[in-house]
Amino acid sequence: MPSRPQVQQATKARVEPQDAARVQSPGTRRRSAYRGYVYVLPAFAVYFCFAVLPALHTAYLSLFEWDGVTLGDWVGLGNYQEILQDPILRRSVFNALVLVVFFSFVPIVLGLAMTGLLARYRRPGMGAYRFLFMLPQVVPLVAVGVTWRWLYGDDGLVNQAFRAVGLDGVTRAWLGDFGAALIAVGLVGTWVLSGLCMMLFLSGVQKVDPSLYEAARLDGAGPVREFVSVTLPHLRGELAVAMTVTTVAALASFDIVYVTTNGGPGEQTTVPGLLVYRLAFSEGKVGLAAALAVVLGCLILAIVYLINRLSRSES
Amino acid sequence: MERTHRVRRRVAAGACAVALVLPLTACDALTPGSAAAVPGQRSVPSPTAVPDEDITLRLQFADAPLMVDALIAAFEKEHPRIGVEPQYKTFSDYVQNLKLTMTSDTAPDIAQYAVGMTDLAADGHILDLAPYREAYGWDEAIPPVSLDQLTAGQTSKATGGRALFGVPAGLSMTGIYYNKELAEKAGIDGPPNTVAEFEEQLAAAKKAGLTPLGVGALDSGGLHLWAALLNQTMPTDDYWDWVNGTEGATIETPAAVTASELVVEWGRKGYYNESANGTAQVDSTAQFAKGDSVFLINGNWAAGQLATVMGDNVGFFPMPGERASDPTVASGFSVSYAVSSRTEHPEAAGLFLDFLTSPEAGQIISDNGFMAPNPEAVKKPEGVLADIAEGHLRAVADDGITTFPDFAAPAMLDRLRSGVQKLIADRVEPADYLDSLQDEWEEHHAE
Repeated sequence: MPSRPQVQQATKARVEPQDAARVQSPGTRRRSAYRGYVYVLPAFAVYFCFAVLPALHTAYLSLFEWDGVTLGDWVGLGNYQEILQDPILRRSVFNALVLVVFFSFVPIVLGLAMTGLLARYRRPGMGAYRFLFMLPQVVPLVAVGVTWRWLYGDDGLVNQAFRAVGLDGVTRAWLGDFGAALIAVGLVGTWVLSGLCMMLFLSGVQKVDPSLYEAARLDGAGPVREFVSVTLPHLRGELAVAMTVTTVAALASFDIVYVTTNGGPGEQTTVPGLLVYRLAFSEGKVGLAAALAVVLGCLILAIVYLINRLSRSES
Repeated sequence: MERTHRVRRRVAAGACAVALVLPLTACDALTPGSAAAVPGQRSVPSPTAVPDEDITLRLQFADAPLMVDALIAAFEKEHPRIGVEPQYKTFSDYVQNLKLTMTSDTAPDIAQYAVGMTDLAADGHILDLAPYREAYGWDEAIPPVSLDQLTAGQTSKATGGRALFGVPAGLSMTGIYYNKELAEKAGIDGPPNTVAEFEEQLAAAKKAGLTPLGVGALDSGGLHLWAALLNQTMPTDDYWDWVNGTEGATIETPAAVTASELVVEWGRKGYYNESANGTAQVDSTAQFAKGDSVFLINGNWAAGQLATVMGDNVGFFPMPGERASDPTVASGFSVSYAVSSRTEHPEAAGLFLDFLTSPEAGQIISDNGFMAPNPEAVKKPEGVLADIAEGHLRAVADDGITTFPDFAAPAMLDRLRSGVQKLIADRVEPADYLDSLQDEWEEHHAE
């Protein structure tokens, strides 16, 4: 996504000195402007083959009733109609939106808090902190899910911790509890994504001109004021990226849910990603699964567009 | 300038999209399913010819890894030039990926027979074993009734007789395990004769401060509990009609309501392990082995493991009926193996299947808690394995082995799993639960 503006800037930079020297004909200008696209071509070719084509194929499959093996039947938009009438689907979209809170909102707040604590002051062991908070990012999500399933289990660490502080009444099988399962799954996402947000924000802070902080301090700003007035405004770009990445992770979530609860208990943690998988592989409704995937994709695109739009208009 | 640029870009993007989609819609070959190459019927010159080269067969399966390992070891000892590479998958992974696995170019040579195999066999992805049946004389080694389950209702192109798409290596059944030491502590002196008596025992266990019944309802464990009760309340013929998709069959019957209500009631009385809905079936088995509950609902596939860990301390009985005189009815199926039409080594695969019918294999199968297809060929098992064999014999004699309820439709497993979880947590009316099952059933069988 950021590639186009960068390329345009680059070509402009090369053209401008010539502009100053002599008046350029529109033709040459256009030719050199198009040259930028040549550089993008290899990346675009790869992207086209491995992202665009499969997506188009999925959209195409969504127009069929197909069991995955035998010849499919053309049903047009019938699959989409079926999706809109499905109560389990509506429930799953609601669940995904709840997960956005835990995958996106909470990690961003936590990431900001950690950035405020870690960014401006050199303390011993800073590298270790960053490593620890970043760790969940490098562990495969399936492994994360399996680990948390143990942690949440009957005799898992979570219940042991509650028992250790005398809160025996609170303990339960978190992933099997109708009230707690979705929150429990959401907190796994919080754990995974907070570190990512922190890293993004930390790298953003490093771009801030130190003299701004100096000026703020000379004006008598405390750490909080400094964070709100200097750090936060400079993190707008990183915030948009963090919001985009984490919201997509929430809406497209599959692996954590599949490994920890498989959508249960009941339909408490069923998310659209899981339904796509089930429809395609266990229920033999590939066309319906493709239609749901297309709907989910459009929903995610719309939300990402909205986030970008908002963050741009603010700046 | 900026605007024309944007318009031009949009036009270009639109043209690209149209250019891409047009050939897609125009080309029949792109209709999904049309490109899946169905391998033709393989001619099998001599099914009994032992290949004299080094061969590796890949075997994908979902049940009883210990048994499969032992079978492979014994087979490899007999045929040193043929290696068998086991590929274990958990049951739900196996079933969900079965179609993709078996239609891919890298399909395993041998695969455990499961629900979706009927469709695969109809499309020619599973090798018809009828010629092998004749050449090896399997009708003598295996009771034909066990083979009849595996014909997928087709006739064999090669022999003109009935087709055969698998060879059974052990028959399965669900039931209740009990921890003898804990049962004694709760004053329980032996397997119950009726459901009511079983309820009394559960109450006694609860009163003794123990967890009465271990259920692993996170995956398919809950479904076994519901099906076990359903087997006692619902007439077997009605149940078969429903599972087989006979027109007009229904699960919305008073008998099924009674069974579902029992699941709710036992939950209300606190008979299940507290985290039943958050516990996988294997985990509930491990907890039972540690002594966490008095009873456990599971299938005989767990028997090998439980016998190893608990020795003489574990017993087994099929869920009893409403009256002591009722026939023994339990869900069960055969653990069978099919051969992919894509295999490069059909003779070697046939040899392996034939090995499964041997007395030696029967003994391994029996030692691992499964019923050998030919019970006369094995020596009498001991301990919990004897309990299972005895229960199975009774069920077979009563014509009471019913398949699992998820066989009713491809999506039924998901409905059952989440539905029983709701029953256990008392979050759904039994009638509504049965209604959701029937909806799924009608949607599938209307096609």
